[in-house]
Amino acid sequence: MGLNRNVSLNTGLQYKGREPMLTFVLHRIGGLGIVVFVGTHILSSFIGGQLGHAGNVVYESWIFQIIIFFCATFHAINGLRITILDLWPPLIEHQREAIWIEFAVFIPLYLIAVYVIIHTALGG
Amino acid sequence: MQVTLKIFRFNPEVDKKWHYETYTLDAPETDRILDLLEKVKGHVDGTLSFRRSCAHGVCGSDALRINGRNQLACKTLVRDTGAKITVEPLLGLKVIKDLIVDMKPFFDNYKTVLPYFINDSPLPADGKERLQTIEQRARFDETTKCVLCAACTTSCPSFWGSETYLGPAAFVTAHRFIFDSRDEAASERLHILSETNGVARCHTVYNCTMACPREIQITKAIGEIKLAMITGKLD
Ligand code: SF4
Ligand code: FES
Repeated sequence: MGLNRNVSLNTGLQYKGREPMLTFVLHRIGGLGIVVFVGTHILSSFIGGQLGHAGNVVYESWIFQIIIFFCATFHAINGLRITILDLWPPLIEHQREAIWIEFAVFIPLYLIAVYVIIHTALGG
Repeated sequence: MQVTLKIFRFNPEVDKKWHYETYTLDAPETDRILDLLEKVKGHVDGTLSFRRSCAHGVCGSDALRINGRNQLACKTLVRDTGAKITVEPLLGLKVIKDLIVDMKPFFDNYKTVLPYFINDSPLPADGKERLQTIEQRARFDETTKCVLCAACTTSCPSFWGSETYLGPAAFVTAHRFIFDSRDEAASERLHILSETNGVARCHTVYNCTMACPREIQITKAIGEIKLAMITGKLD
C-alpha cells in the first residue's frame, strides 16, 4: 500500500542541502568528466584513423580542457578534503570551514589555469 | 502576517497521483509550521493527514520536508521559513496519505544494528549497576539524543538510491552502543555495519548532519565508526 515515490535525479537535486551537497554533486560531475576524458582518449587511440583523429581534436580543444581541468581539479581537491576528514573524524565538526578552505584553494587555482589555457589557445 | 502554505496531498482512496494544495492563512511569525498544519486541519480541511504527538521536538513524529529541507514541523517557525511555505513528506519512503510516510524500511534498518544493550557477563559483585566513568559516559553522549525522526536518513542520497542502505539514523544508534563501555557487542555491530549496506555507502554529503533537529554530529559519528572498523580500536 502507499504511493511509491522513487527519488528522481531532479527531485534529489532539489533537496536544499547547501554547500556540502553542492560539493557532493560537483564531485560526481567531476568524476563523470574524468571518465569521459579518459574514455575519449582511449577510444581515439584505439580506433585510430580519421575518426580517432576527430576524437583527439575534441579532447585536445581548449574548451574541453577548461571543462576537464574543472572536473579533475575539483574532484582531486574535494577528494582530499573528504579523505582528511575521514581519517580525522574530530575535524568533521569543522566541515563547513573545510569547504570554505576547499573553495579558497580551488577557485584561484582554477582561474589561473583557465587564464593560462585561454592565453595559450589564443597564441600566447 | 499572511502566509501561503503549499501542501503535498495524496489520498490513496481517490488519487492516482499526488498534487499540491495551497492555503492562505494569517499567522504570527512565531507560529510553528505544525501550528499552521493544525489550523488547516482544524478549520479548513479535516482530511489533511500528518503525524505529530509531543509538539516539542521530543517524539520525532513530524519530520517533514519544509521548503525543500528536512526539519521537524514543531521546531520550525514561520520566522525561519518566510511567508511562502511548502510542506512535503520525507523523500525515499512510500507515501501512505498526504504527509504520512511508511516508516517500515526505516525501522527495519534500525533493528538491523541491534539497537539494544548487550552484556551477558554476570553483574558486579554488589549485584547493582555496571559503573562507568564520566569520560566513558561522555564518549557516546551525543548519539543518545536521537529521537528517530528519520530526517537524516531521508535526506541522504544513498538512501534515496536504495532503502536497504542502513542510513544515518541506524548508524547513530549503532554508535551509541558501540562506544558504550558497558556494552559487549561492538564487534558484532561493526561487522553488520561493514556489509554492503553499511557505512561504506556513506559519501559524506552531510545532509544528515544539517537535517538533524537534535544537532547530532552524525557524519562525525559515522566517521568514528569507519575509523573503529579500520583500526579495531574504540577510543
Ligand atoms: S539522528 Fe537526528 S535526524 Fe536522525 S533520526 Fe535521530 S534525531 Fe532524527
Ligand atoms: S511532534 Fe513530537 S517531535 Fe514534533
